[in-house]
Amino acid sequence: MEKNFKPQITVFHCINCFSGDLESSIPSRSDGVLKSVKMACSSMVKDVFLLRAFESGSDAVIVMVCPEGQCRYVEGNIRAKKRIEWVKKLLDEIELDGRRLSLHPIDSGDPDAATGIIGRVLSEVSALGPNPAG
Amino acid sequence: MIVGEQKPIGEIKQILSPYKRVLVLGCGTCVKTCFAGGEDEVAVLSSALRLVFKKEGREITIEELTVERQCEDEFIREAAPAVSNNAAVLSLACGAGVQAIARRFIDVPVLPGVNTTFIGVLEKQGLFTEECLGCGDCKLAVFGGVCPVTRCSKKLLNGPCGGSRAGKCEVNPETDCAWQFIISRLEVLGQLDNLRKYNPPKDWRASHAGGPRKLVREDHII
Amino acid sequence: MSSEIQSNLEGVLDRGDFAVTAECGPPRGADPEVIRKKGEFLKGYVDAVNVTDNQTAIVRMSSIAASVHLLQMGLEPVMQMVTRDRNRIALQSDILGAYSLGIKNILCLSGDHQSFGSQPDAVNVFDIDSINLIHTVRDMAESGKDMSGYELNRPPRMFIGAAANPFADPFEYRVIRLAKKIDAGARFIQTQCVYNLDRFKEWVRLAREEGLTEKAYILGGVTPLKSEGMANYMAKRVAGMEVPEAIIRRMAGVSKKKAAEEGIQICLETIAALREIKGVHGVHIMAIEWEEKVGALVEAAGLAPRPAAV
Repeated sequence: MEKNFKPQITVFHCINCFSGDLESSIPSRSDGVLKSVKMACSSMVKDVFLLRAFESGSDAVIVMVCPEGQCRYVEGNIRAKKRIEWVKKLLDEIELDGRRLSLHPIDSGDPDAATGIIGRVLSEVSALGPNPAG
Repeated sequence: MIVGEQKPIGEIKQILSPYKRVLVLGCGTCVKTCFAGGEDEVAVLSSALRLVFKKEGREITIEELTVERQCEDEFIREAAPAVSNNAAVLSLACGAGVQAIARRFIDVPVLPGVNTTFIGVLEKQGLFTEECLGCGDCKLAVFGGVCPVTRCSKKLLNGPCGGSRAGKCEVNPETDCAWQFIISRLEVLGQLDNLRKYNPPKDWRASHAGGPRKLVREDHII
Repeated sequence: MSSEIQSNLEGVLDRGDFAVTAECGPPRGADPEVIRKKGEFLKGYVDAVNVTDNQTAIVRMSSIAASVHLLQMGLEPVMQMVTRDRNRIALQSDILGAYSLGIKNILCLSGDHQSFGSQPDAVNVFDIDSINLIHTVRDMAESGKDMSGYELNRPPRMFIGAAANPFADPFEYRVIRLAKKIDAGARFIQTQCVYNLDRFKEWVRLAREEGLTEKAYILGGVTPLKSEGMANYMAKRVAGMEVPEAIIRRMAGVSKKKAAEEGIQICLETIAALREIKGVHGVHIMAIEWEEKVGALVEAAGLAPRPAAV
């Protein structure tokens, strides 16, 4: 495993589950590079955006959604979940490893949740290694 | 509408392996509706192919284009510049579209990216069902609007068979017995007598069994 | 109808005797010894033997060939013919061939779908259905012509049968279907094996009311159970089959060693009941892979010896 591997992570999140600016709110880390994409609702995350994130060099992609039953637009988080499941399967089929993509419900009332999620994903992706198509 | 399913990406990879410049050509009509080959599917497939070829260290450029329909010249023409730019075309249209493109651009290999399956309807969100196999001699009036040729696994005209159980077909517990539907529908319509009548053997000449078919409308030809 | 020689089965039924038929599945290979062995078990105990046609869509020696092997050893076959594998050209051709070889009885069926069998990758035919087939065989006999209207030299005049399943859905429609088959030309009907006598009796009653029992001979099907496992399997896994709880309990209630005996006992009770039903003219014994028991069964049921072939 490369000692100097600093995973690039793209985070898609809706402004309802995390209203702030992710890059500045999360304590800056030396073990990874973060980029965030804000959406009005996580259901706006189309499969092609997730793939293009990998195409542009991301080693892992996180999608944060509102907890079940709490989507402001009712079904948005359910649609996002189905889409992420579909893309994970596609990533497995092309041998990029579906574990690089993950979905996380996050309660807007919990400011530390995002930090926790990103920390966990960083350690998981360090084990997986860099994006083989990066 | 025509229904089909995109081929597994492993197979598409295999089909594209000889080529370095590929046009992924989508179709905005039937295959868009069944999520097999519309603009969105072109984008996702192209992205996935770029990722997988990069991972394997293979050089390939993928161009993306979608036209309204691949079965009409008016729209096929729009693809001409893109086709001439590439070494091969992966068409995500139904089998008819793939062939129409192939014979208008004879110098370029035109490859299928979709397995075309049936003529059907969007029964409800995400569910497409086979309804018509184009027998050329429609008898839906006799059968209460339910087609036994397409929807009965044995094409029985004097059904049901002994394998019909709880409204399901013996072939698959998820397949409805068409004859159960026919009986129920004719009951509602008060036309159960239709079932007492003997239906003679079908004349298959109007179907594909008679050879590939053509429709010529002289009144539309100048 | 012309005075072609009647089949033995037809003769037995016309004379009002309670008929006995059994079944013989051809081998998955070209060895006729398998059929001959099965035939030996049945000889003298049956009026005719059904020969299945690639049953369950598993490739076996053809029904027409196996029927001829039985003919050659003095048994009378009922050639089964399904419409799954052959179009109207091949079906008519085989009917002509069969009759020319001395086969006089035919049972017309649609056939199990090929997805059940050894070649699920094959295309199916189903050019015509079983009722069309019955009609065709009848027309060939009555008009002397084939389906295209061509006058046949020596038209086949077979004794035509059909299958019926009183236990499939929808129940009310089953009698309409039976009527259709008889109107098309079926003169004898063999049913799916009977375990639920009440439902069977009800079906026969409805058939009687429609006047169908005056037009065709119904033979009730029976299959002796070998074990509790077999009873459960048939109840749960076989399409269009009904095995009441009471029967399964009886099979479960005896030791494994005594199970076969109990199964035979239930079968004998069923046969005795069938003989009492007005409109039932015979029994069709489907002793699947247990042909050696047919003789004892027929004897214990008091149905032996069979009337000599005329």
